[in-house]
Amino acid sequence: MSFYQGVIIIVVINVIAVIGNFLLTGMTGLLSFGQASFMALGAYISGLLAVKFNIPFPLAILLAIIASVFVGFIIALPVVKLRRDYFALTTFAFGEFLKAVLNLSVTITGGATGLAGIPYKVNIWIVLISLIIVILLVRNFRNSKFGKECLAIRDDELAARSCGIDSSRKKMTVFLFSVAITSFAGCLYGFYTCYIDPSMFGWTKSSELVIMVFFGGLNSLTGVIIGTTFLTLSLEILRFTGAWRMFIYVLIMIILIDFRPQGVFANWELEWTTFEKLLQVPLSIIKKEK
Amino acid sequence: MKAGLLLRNVKKELEVFLQQLLNGLSSGGVYALMAVGFGLIYNVLKFSNFSHGGVMLIGCYTAYFAFKIFHSSLFLTLLFGAISGGFCAVIFEKLAIAPLRKRNAPKVYFFVNSINGGLLAEYLIVATVGVFFHTFPDFLGTANINIRQISFSKLNLTMFTISLITLFGLMWYLYKTKSGRAIRAVACDINTASLMGVDVNRVISLTFFVSGLLGGLSGVFLGISYTIYPQLGKMIVKGWMASVIGGLGSLLGPVVGGILLGVLETFLTAYIGSSFTPILEFIILLMFLLIRPQGIAGIIVEEKV
Repeated sequence: MSFYQGVIIIVVINVIAVIGNFLLTGMTGLLSFGQASFMALGAYISGLLAVKFNIPFPLAILLAIIASVFVGFIIALPVVKLRRDYFALTTFAFGEFLKAVLNLSVTITGGATGLAGIPYKVNIWIVLISLIIVILLVRNFRNSKFGKECLAIRDDELAARSCGIDSSRKKMTVFLFSVAITSFAGCLYGFYTCYIDPSMFGWTKSSELVIMVFFGGLNSLTGVIIGTTFLTLSLEILRFTGAWRMFIYVLIMIILIDFRPQGVFANWELEWTTFEKLLQVPLSIIKKEK
Repeated sequence: MKAGLLLRNVKKELEVFLQQLLNGLSSGGVYALMAVGFGLIYNVLKFSNFSHGGVMLIGCYTAYFAFKIFHSSLFLTLLFGAISGGFCAVIFEKLAIAPLRKRNAPKVYFFVNSINGGLLAEYLIVATVGVFFHTFPDFLGTANINIRQISFSKLNLTMFTISLITLFGLMWYLYKTKSGRAIRAVACDINTASLMGVDVNRVISLTFFVSGLLGGLSGVFLGISYTIYPQLGKMIVKGWMASVIGGLGSLLGPVVGGILLGVLETFLTAYIGSSFTPILEFIILLMFLLIRPQGIAGIIVEEKV
């Protein structure tokens, strides 16, 4: 049982991180290739606070998220006004930067050998409740006026700006929100595995997070959640195939983007109304029979 | 007596400085090659082609195996690397870019697919060759060239010269030949060029081939000056930084940016330490983006409506 619980916890943490990335890419069209480094930031800061200062873990997570958001603000400040490529590559460079910092600060973070001894605090209920909260937050955010304006920016920035939407400010807000969610996922990861090292949050992890968003679909929160669960599980199952699994995985992604760029689930979204519609099918049959 | 010692110290310092300058210039030349290959695709299709890293990687490994099997000389090895890089870039274009172009997809998909292309090359190498490190032999031995009693590494000098010759060759090709002019026309405006009778699909494949040649060449150079390993493609970020410093969208800007970056990096590594270099580089990059995002060349390419 505990093995399956472990798998579920890892999958759910991954889903939270991907939702953070989905928020950014799906709502503003910005791509971040340093998203895993924000996970690292969350995991390291909360872990250090817990290990070195014995700060209780909810407070440590809160402080870590605030610190990550602050770092995200500094990085995004020069680039939100520029082309989107600049944003993507600056976040990528940030990943390299953070890795260098973590490897250098041996006395504080343990360097390349990693940070051990983080207390084990996360169980399956905490993770599931956080997932539900994050999903509700993101869903309501997407449906709000602010969210609709962001979608306008993603689809046509020039048109959105000519309608009076302050695009760089919106982009910045969404980016900071996504950083908060991603670093929260990182905190959960740290308190679950009890051990973190810089190589866990490398560029491969960041690109995995981006690929999962595009697999599920830029427009579908449900798609992203189902797609991420499926991909994470299948990667775990196909582990025996070694390096070829990642090769095949990336090849499938290329073909998918070639022929179905909107993702597997495109615009489909699971809402309460979907259940109502599903319920209506048997109800109508019953009515007819009467 | 004391003055003589001081003079000798100054001379020693000067010697180290000049040697570091040459090291910087040679790695700057490689960065310039990378940045120009990257910038060619950027100019034509207006997206950052991350798969260039994968092309560099494939070029480097092919050259390594060509050397292993045929014991080829430096120039032949470079040629192998360049040509395999060229073909790899064309295959990638057919696989991942042409379908998107046919569909007229938003630029963000081009970008994501180019990253997938880079990852594909990386995992292909990991799956077939393995994650082990390889090294090229010392092609030119450890011979040095002495100029006025200061010895310079022959390899660095050769690398810098070859990079410069390649860049001049590229300029000649783009400005003096018919197909080069076609590439520039498509870079200027795809639709108008196609109305004027330019076969756009072929020109884009050709651009990928040319950029692949440069990518393969820079890949082999990177393999020679560092080691050969599957994550070599990540070095493309250096090429991108060079393009940002020089100015994306111009052709000469990345060359200047690449050489500046190479020299800066070598001096930082020499005087501060190699582990601090990525940190300082990132800070410099942020500063540059904050103060002068259009780069040295000063051309801003807006996202097309």
